[in-house]
Amino acid sequence: MSDNTYDKNSKKNVIQFALMLSVICSLMITGAASGLKNLQLENMKLDKKANILKAANLINQKPGRTEILKLYKAHIKEGMVNQSGQPVDTETEDTLHLYYYHTNNVIEGYILPINTKGLWGKISGYLAFERDGQTVSGFSVFSHSETPGLGGEIENSWFRKNFKGKKILNSQNKFVSVGIAKGKVKNLPKNLQDHYVDGISGATLTGNYLSEGIKATLTKYEPLSISFRQKELKTLEQ
Amino acid sequence: MSNETTPYKEILLKGIWRENPVAYQVLGICSALAVTVKMSTAIVMSLALTLVTAFSSMIISSMRNKIPSNIRIIAELAVIASMVIVTDEILKAFFYDISKQLSIFVGLIITNCIVLGRAEAFALANNPLDSFVDGIANGLGYSLVLISVACIRELLGAGEFLGFPIIPGFVYDAGYQNMGLMLLAPGAFFIIGLLVWLKNSITGSNQ
Repeated sequence: MSDNTYDKNSKKNVIQFALMLSVICSLMITGAASGLKNLQLENMKLDKKANILKAANLINQKPGRTEILKLYKAHIKEGMVNQSGQPVDTETEDTLHLYYYHTNNVIEGYILPINTKGLWGKISGYLAFERDGQTVSGFSVFSHSETPGLGGEIENSWFRKNFKGKKILNSQNKFVSVGIAKGKVKNLPKNLQDHYVDGISGATLTGNYLSEGIKATLTKYEPLSISFRQKELKTLEQ
Repeated sequence: MSNETTPYKEILLKGIWRENPVAYQVLGICSALAVTVKMSTAIVMSLALTLVTAFSSMIISSMRNKIPSNIRIIAELAVIASMVIVTDEILKAFFYDISKQLSIFVGLIITNCIVLGRAEAFALANNPLDSFVDGIANGLGYSLVLISVACIRELLGAGEFLGFPIIPGFVYDAGYQNMGLMLLAPGAFFIIGLLVWLKNSITGSNQ
């Protein structure tokens, strides 16, 4: 080792280089992540709103920012209910969140957040109902980590639009939830066709997890749905 | 591989056409299959990869006399991975919808062999500016293939160009149908294969 030339392979320099590189790289990443965080959160919020609107069938494609905010403000109101389905104002540990879809404060339907386990990670989305408390009016997925092209298809419109018009009550008015079929719905027995949507080939597990998650959520919200069926909730309080 | 006097035109030509990363070096096929269903995702992916390759090549090249040879690959990967994460954060902040569509594939730029391949093959032996140009050239070469494949797949598979339907209704009425195959991965294999064939028959054999 001579004094004048830099020996890049000496032990001291290797360690020094590795340390320097790690520090610089982590600073760069931290800088980018924290510097852009606000913008990203903003985008996520907007995307959530867009997906709530999608579930309520107010939009199909994602429109521009102002359009989303305008529609959201005009038609969506966030609300909370307790375990027995009564609207409440204060949040406690077991309050359930939901969104009302209204026109001039007359409730047209309600939208429930779905949070469930998927095959690879969490699936978050929204399931919207008409004000009869049993007919699904739409479905949308806000975030997921399913395989693109297979389970990832749950966010595409062909899959989502199949939810429209499905019932969560059977002909005896008993709660049965709505699920994802394995294969096509038309191959199912007639009495089940109203409670299933077409599955995605190659993504049976994603479908199963989503069905389970929807059922668990709907069971939790069933008292609320019952009050909708009994027409107890019609308008929003101002 | 090349020396300090390599003119930029030469580097560009090599990266974009003669030694095209996908068609000649056969690198980066994985993402070329995944993000070419639609042109919008292909364009963003191309842009992201070009920038990452260019800047990581430049940074690695500027450190080439300092990088210890026994931790060379780790050091290169650290630089590339950081660049990719920064790119991902930027996409999430400014192109949220597209970043959602690209999902995992932006992160996979880290494992895209083009980036590491250029760092190893070019940046370690050349000056930063040349390496930057080489990164741009290879990024553009990749973009060329990616966007051509996406254009063909979107046109044949969905009848659209950049998201706008361009095949008129009467063609469908006459019995024309979109090719569903083009939207699936095998469609990309066929197109890439045909493009490589086309490219090699123009430039002549690899030998």
